[in-house]
Amino acid sequence: MSVFSSKAEKVFIFAFFFIALGIPLFFNENTFYVNKISTMLILSIFVMSLDYLVGRTGLITLGHAMFYGLGGYLFAIMIPEYEVVNFWLYTFYVMAASGVIALIVGFIVLRTSGIYMIMITLALAQMTFYFFADSTEYGGLDGLFIYLKPETSIFGLNFLDLDNENHFYYLCLLSLFNCYVFCKVSLHSRFGRVIDAIKENPERATALGYNIFHFRLVSYVLSSSLAAYAGYLFSLQYGFVNPTMMSWEVSASALVMAILGGLGTIFGAILGVFVYESLHYGIEHMTQYWMFWMGSLIILMVLLLKSGIAGLIEQLVGGKRK
Amino acid sequence: MSECILQAENLSKHWGGLKALNEFNIKFYDKSLHSIVGPNGAGKSTMLNILCGTYPATKGVILYRGENITGLKSHQFCRKGIGRSFQKTNIFKDATCLENCCIAAQQRVGSSFNMFKSKHSSKHVTAIAEDALEQVGLLKQANTKASAISYGEQRQLEIAMVLATDPQVLLLDEPMAGMGHEESLIIIDLLKSLKKRYCIVLVEHDMDAVFELSDLMTVMVDGQHLITDVVDNIRANPLVQEAYLGNDDEVF
Repeated sequence: MSVFSSKAEKVFIFAFFFIALGIPLFFNENTFYVNKISTMLILSIFVMSLDYLVGRTGLITLGHAMFYGLGGYLFAIMIPEYEVVNFWLYTFYVMAASGVIALIVGFIVLRTSGIYMIMITLALAQMTFYFFADSTEYGGLDGLFIYLKPETSIFGLNFLDLDNENHFYYLCLLSLFNCYVFCKVSLHSRFGRVIDAIKENPERATALGYNIFHFRLVSYVLSSSLAAYAGYLFSLQYGFVNPTMMSWEVSASALVMAILGGLGTIFGAILGVFVYESLHYGIEHMTQYWMFWMGSLIILMVLLLKSGIAGLIEQLVGGKRK
Repeated sequence: MSECILQAENLSKHWGGLKALNEFNIKFYDKSLHSIVGPNGAGKSTMLNILCGTYPATKGVILYRGENITGLKSHQFCRKGIGRSFQKTNIFKDATCLENCCIAAQQRVGSSFNMFKSKHSSKHVTAIAEDALEQVGLLKQANTKASAISYGEQRQLEIAMVLATDPQVLLLDEPMAGMGHEESLIIIDLLKSLKKRYCIVLVEHDMDAVFELSDLMTVMVDGQHLITDVVDNIRANPLVQEAYLGNDDEVF
């Protein structure tokens, strides 16, 4: 059985990663675009983790940016000042720490569902936002700065320099690829079978003997850790973290991107981010009323494309999703 | 009579002031079919929902093979061996029939938290699922989407899913609801073969089917236990005729 759930996905994934590999060569002199696309890759990881939760597990959250921001903050708080740390080690620390936080938060928010879960995740995210925005210790609204980028040696071998835009770009691309593979593999596994069942019919899944709370909790922790990893990469790219990263607008626009791309398709997250961000960037340069045009376009796309851009590609390429 | 497998003692369920179930005592025996009948609103479905853990009982205990399981959570009832089917068809519509049963079978086989092994890797799960489909006669539809099969077949699938969880007790909530005569006959044949191996508790409005299938019958009225007896005695009982069967106002 194929790993891909449709021909469209296969075509898109091959095309996307093939083109993405060549981007830094194409923009040889222009690091602005390489940086811009790196950010989109990071955002894709974030939106993909959200799609895992919303589109596949069926849990709608408006507080996912909390983990995005926490990824950055956890790193900035944990590192000793003026000391270069190891990237891989801190990747593990950041993801483990945010996983523990997600476990505690998930234990609370997963007692609710539907609209109540939206409210409680939003409330918790806003609490965290104001905690960091008002704290003098963590820099208030200015946030924290990361003065020294981590080094990336494994067993003394050093082949990535995070200060180099192209190197950082490839790190983001590799991360997105790993994230995609992980999502696909886990959703195609025995665990994924139960997750799909719970999303479609939680009552029936319970009657078949599954403790749906445990499955939702595991999914919540995984998704939140991935979001934190994306936030961690973002803070490394720009060298700082601030509370805006975890504002509710970030959660909401990520949700818009996930829906735009095609909820539940996983690869749609990449599409959603690139289309949304390109439109944003393009329209912003044309008119100062970009928000108006952007909003209108999104309404139009959501109305016309019922299953997102991923659904559109599936129609064009053929080969229906199972 | 064979061994008593599931038993309820003084079971009560109150919805606010309404006593949907009042001090109910009942015993279910292995390898037999015990049907529960009564007019609408008698509390049949309420009792079924309590017996499978969906609602907590207000009072009373449920004993499963002598063990008190009253306080268990809903999903634990299924793990103990009490499987249920739903009154309203409740299946995974987007999945194939086989996948529907695989979801059920995997619960019994275990390692559902394994994230790296493909869901299709276990031959054991598939074998159980196929066996369950075979028992209800749906094997030829294994790879059809559950939403694409007929209503009657969906009801059969509903039962197949319960079978795939390896139950000891089957709680069936109106498996023949909304079925045509032909389709009902299929279910009746199915239940006849199943009752040789399982303890079946049947709530059903189709009286012909109930009389044909039942070893024991319980009549309920207004949340109260009226009588439990073998079919022939029930038919002859004047109390039952008055309370239920002989009531001209009600048409079945």
